[in-house]
Amino acid sequence: MIETHTPLVPAMPRRHGFAQALRSEWTKVRTARATAWTPLVMAAIVPVIAVFVGVTTSIQPDDTILGGSLTGAPPAQMAAAIFGVLVITSEYSTGTIRSTLAARPQRTTVLAAKAVIVAGSTFVASFVASVIGYQIGDLLLSGEGYAQGDAMPALVGVAACFAATGVLGVAIGTILRRSAGAIVAVIGIVMLPSLFGPLFGDWQRWVAGASPAAALQKFTQTSDATPEVVGSLGPWPSLALLGASTVAVLAASIWLFKCRDA
Amino acid sequence: MIQVSELTKRYGDTVAVDGLSFEVRPGRVTSFLGPNGAGKSTTMRTIVGLDAPTAGRVIVNGRRYDELYAPLFEVGVLLDAKGVHGGRTAFNHLWWLAQSNGIPRRRVGEVLDMVGLAGAADKRVRGFSLGMGQRLGIASALLGDPATLILDEPANGLDTEGIRWNRDLMKVLAHEGRTVFVSSHLMSEVQLAADHLIVIGRGRLIADTPMREFIERNSETVTVVRSARPTELRAVLEGCGARVDPDAEGRWRVSGVSASAIGDLAAHHGIGLHELTPAYSSLEDVYTRMTQPSVEYRAVPAPSPQEARTR
Repeated sequence: MIETHTPLVPAMPRRHGFAQALRSEWTKVRTARATAWTPLVMAAIVPVIAVFVGVTTSIQPDDTILGGSLTGAPPAQMAAAIFGVLVITSEYSTGTIRSTLAARPQRTTVLAAKAVIVAGSTFVASFVASVIGYQIGDLLLSGEGYAQGDAMPALVGVAACFAATGVLGVAIGTILRRSAGAIVAVIGIVMLPSLFGPLFGDWQRWVAGASPAAALQKFTQTSDATPEVVGSLGPWPSLALLGASTVAVLAASIWLFKCRDA
Repeated sequence: MIQVSELTKRYGDTVAVDGLSFEVRPGRVTSFLGPNGAGKSTTMRTIVGLDAPTAGRVIVNGRRYDELYAPLFEVGVLLDAKGVHGGRTAFNHLWWLAQSNGIPRRRVGEVLDMVGLAGAADKRVRGFSLGMGQRLGIASALLGDPATLILDEPANGLDTEGIRWNRDLMKVLAHEGRTVFVSSHLMSEVQLAADHLIVIGRGRLIADTPMREFIERNSETVTVVRSARPTELRAVLEGCGARVDPDAEGRWRVSGVSASAIGDLAAHHGIGLHELTPAYSSLEDVYTRMTQPSVEYRAVPAPSPQEARTR
């Protein structure tokens, strides 16, 4: 005889159960290799490159210590975007998405929980990484005659850029559903505007200035981020622009996620 | 209880399910049968809200699936063994599922015990055999102790012992008063496990009947007869218009006359009978005959090159 029935204490089905969705998504991120490691790699890039820059003093004479210490921030930002992508595309590639949606048919809740997990973990990890990177840079570069740069609240802004970029990754991953395509797309969005910006002449500041990387560079106060290159919009308005466009793409992805078959 | 009414699902020009209506009731094992491409998996995906119906509706335990806020307590689903991330351990897979519905952690260990995977709890699913993956899928369906189970090909990849275990499990679940809705391709298995059949072909309902009735109604009635005087018996039966064929064990398989008529005829002619057994076709025979038209209809012959050119 097979015993199937052991009395369960049914948790009262709460109306939305967002906390349950968050817990479940956090466990998923934690227990799959790709999604567990990407944020750690992201966080490691910044201090490692800060050590490299500090030891070799490979910064421009007009750069700030803050900007030099955070030289690793742009590549780390790409890792944040990739992390965001993988959180959703790994579900499509393995078929886990069907288990997820059968267990929680409220699709907006599912995607919102993923976005919150990605935003929260990239914010915390990149903030810690930037603070450590800046401390390392400060230790190795102070007294060399470089301007200091204003660390606070700029480092909070840096972390917010990472969070927005991670969420953008979730949105693009949801729209494209395949890891490879979505990673290419999201790296393109983060990198291409500053890469191809110079081709646009006077328009460079608009093309490159609207990219997620531009907002980040304005916060790190690197000498590369001149108004000619990334526009004259301040760091916080740039962040607001990045946040607003991320929310817009996320809204579009939620709409698609809701009306497509899984 | 699952209620499917006037369900239609189109993918582009392809009609996968076409105006399908049926009910799956609690307390019995309902087998869902149909040839490949008949729309079984599509129907099951629609029931659990993965695919949106083009028309019609599906109600599970009185509500639409997307109105269930902790569905694992009400509906357990095994859609395919592949809905699992290979890099996760069996325990972690069940644990995130449990968390999404507020199911306590100890329950994960319990369902792993039930399906016999307790020893593999901390192994990555990637290394699982097809049968172990299937057991994990069944464990996830049982996680919330649900009143309704929807299982797509649960016996797929199980070994002989596993198939038997799965059959017993389904019977126990139905006996406990649950709704058990199972699709399968193994007719011999269905014949042993199912109480009720829902058969579809090309997205339409072919039959929705108790299994016994399905076989009895659609079998050719054949009676197996053994006698000490077979030649005389044959002549008598054929004289009454019956068809008489020998079977492998030297008995007659008689069709066209009922068993009672055979008994009476034999008595009338003073021929002793050693065996008189009404035999039904197997489920497989009946099923194959019933679904043949819908299978054939799907195989539309390609137009000849000439025809194609003139179009």
